Amino acid sequence: MRLLLELILFLPLCGAVLLALAGGRLPRRVVEAVACGTVWGSFAATLGAATLFASPAKVEIVNWLTDFEFAAPVTLYLDPLSLVIALMVTFVCGLIHLHAVAYMAGDPGYVRFFALLNLFVAAMLLLVLAENLPLLYMGWEGVGFCSYGLIGFWYREEKNATAARKAFIVTRIGDVALGIAIVWLYELFSTTSLTGINETVFLMPLMVITPIGILLLVGAMGKSAQLPLMVWLPDAMAGPTPVSALIHAATMVTAGVYLLIRLFPLVSVSPTVMAAIAVTGGASAFYGASCAVAQRDLKRVLAYSTISQIGFMMLGVGAGALAAATFHLIVHAFFKALLFLGAGCIITALHHEQDIYRMGGISRSLPAVSRLFLAGALCLAGFPLTGGFFSKDAILAAVWGRGGMLYLLLFLLGLATAFLTAYYTFRMVRLVCGGEGPAPQPLTPLMTGPLVPLAILGLGGGLLNIPHYLGEGLLGRVLASGGVRVEHAATATELALQAVAALTAVGGISLACHRYADSRRPLRIAEGAQPAGGLTAFLLHGWYADRLYARIFVEPFTGTARFLWQRVDAGLIDGGVDRLAELLGRCGSWLGRWSSGRVSTYLIYLAVGAVLLLGWLAGSAAGRGGW
Amino acid sequence: MIVPLAHILILAAVIFSLGLVCVLVWRSNVIMLLIGIEIMLNAAMLVFVGGSARWGAPDGQVFALMIMAMTSAEVSLALALVVYLHRRRRTVDVDAFRELRDP
Repeated sequence: MRLLLELILFLPLCGAVLLALAGGRLPRRVVEAVACGTVWGSFAATLGAATLFASPAKVEIVNWLTDFEFAAPVTLYLDPLSLVIALMVTFVCGLIHLHAVAYMAGDPGYVRFFALLNLFVAAMLLLVLAENLPLLYMGWEGVGFCSYGLIGFWYREEKNATAARKAFIVTRIGDVALGIAIVWLYELFSTTSLTGINETVFLMPLMVITPIGILLLVGAMGKSAQLPLMVWLPDAMAGPTPVSALIHAATMVTAGVYLLIRLFPLVSVSPTVMAAIAVTGGASAFYGASCAVAQRDLKRVLAYSTISQIGFMMLGVGAGALAAATFHLIVHAFFKALLFLGAGCIITALHHEQDIYRMGGISRSLPAVSRLFLAGALCLAGFPLTGGFFSKDAILAAVWGRGGMLYLLLFLLGLATAFLTAYYTFRMVRLVCGGEGPAPQPLTPLMTGPLVPLAILGLGGGLLNIPHYLGEGLLGRVLASGGVRVEHAATATELALQAVAALTAVGGISLACHRYADSRRPLRIAEGAQPAGGLTAFLLHGWYADRLYARIFVEPFTGTARFLWQRVDAGLIDGGVDRLAELLGRCGSWLGRWSSGRVSTYLIYLAVGAVLLLGWLAGSAAGRGGW
Repeated sequence: MIVPLAHILILAAVIFSLGLVCVLVWRSNVIMLLIGIEIMLNAAMLVFVGGSARWGAPDGQVFALMIMAMTSAEVSLALALVVYLHRRRRTVDVDAFRELRDP
């Protein structure tokens, strides 16, 4: 088990180090083989660990930080939750690596790309498998760094570099909160071990747990792009599409949800924190879905839908439905990676066109891709019997089962979000696939191949955790063995809720298909050509959140900085020094005129000086009263 | 002590002033400048000797002898310099030599 765990973590890390140090000297095929091979090796090791898995295992690999009582060794912890997530991460990453080989075929910076991608996988696995908080934080920052490097991968364009910086800075806000929470937890518990904290949390008073829980939530908000800190994710689509698929849809952004699930025994103590998590999730879900309705860029639609779907996961955590949240996390990783890779195929085929109003005809020109894309869209929309339907419904059922006014409102918000999700998904599908469009360029099988297993897993994802009235869900059973609470509503309630969810999804889909049917297509495209106004503009710009933050934070900051630069630094300090230097220089040149070089003049000075000195001596002697 | 100290001091002051005026006004000749300096040194020597006689202490006379030795050395060196300067420039005007000034 120890060897397997080490392999899981160190294979991608070694790949990253090898590529970073020697990648430039290796042939292209070798670089690609190393990048994919290490990730698939890691997946194989995870599979091996899964077959051998008997009980939660803790493996200390090496001593890392030790100081008196503080200890943070490199300890890996494999329990059902981390096992499931690690399986998902390595599998999805492996497929995306394969797709990336085809996607980056013409790019000269492939060594940097694959090195960062491998490093990302290593950091993500470290985050997932870490047993103590400093180690988790290292993985957390590692994925943030790789995300920064990959969003700004094409850094020669100003826009991409800005997007990368924005993502880095906004997520840093959450990371600071997480860092404070870690230090505080160590101060309270005298340990940083996750299991240790979760076992002794009942000893702590509620009034301390609540602020810590809120700090953890802020950390999760930053990484998972939840409501106040969500502005970075839509801009993060500036990176290459495999990166968007891997980091900004399937894996990294779910790290916040994973953190809250990991520390659930801690956060669940405080009802305030639970309500805050649920409200954050619900509001983000609705925000993302409403914005996605008006987007024109294919990748931005998917980005906003990611915010929305992670909002659902948060809502599930806030409702205490850990199994449902984990279920949705995994199914979402499959279908969102599928959608992004499909989008990557479509964008490549259409010569890097990203505006959905200028696409079309994919179902005729690229039938295979369009079918796979449709499968992903069905999952996202929550079409009955797909994976997305079951996972979303499990979360909504948990929110319903929680009871109380707040959770009832959140349930209704969730239903509205589900309706919007179905609507915008099929608006996108109809615009991309229907009608006539430009002729695509052919795609390699390596590019489309990885979509197939993702589509199968996305569509059949429901089998991972079938509703309990049909039997015991696999995922629920696995998670329950690790001490995660799994709750069920009554069968009748659950069936009724599923019927409501199914009706909502089908309603949204049929509305979109009606509005964007082929017969009305020219009308919609004509509408799209008009400059957006009113509500559409409001949604298109993400509720003007960027403008609001610019007004509140960025402009005062740049204003102060400009004042300090131009007035205080350039004006006061530099100006003062300049003025002083000028004054001294003028004095010097005035005094310099005295040094004529004539000995006779100097002698006169000497005489005058001697007379003055004597006079002063005589005067002072007279003042003292005689000789 | 026949001559009072005040008289000696007045005489020394007169001689010193004459030497000083010589130094200050006679610019056209370096040798006159050196003579002026010699006169001022003589005035100083006179004060030393007068003081020595007034208080009956020998140090002043010792100093006078020291100054004599020093001035003879100084004059020999200075005259050598003057000869050298005259050979270079064909002039002994004090103000002609101003190379050490900042340009």
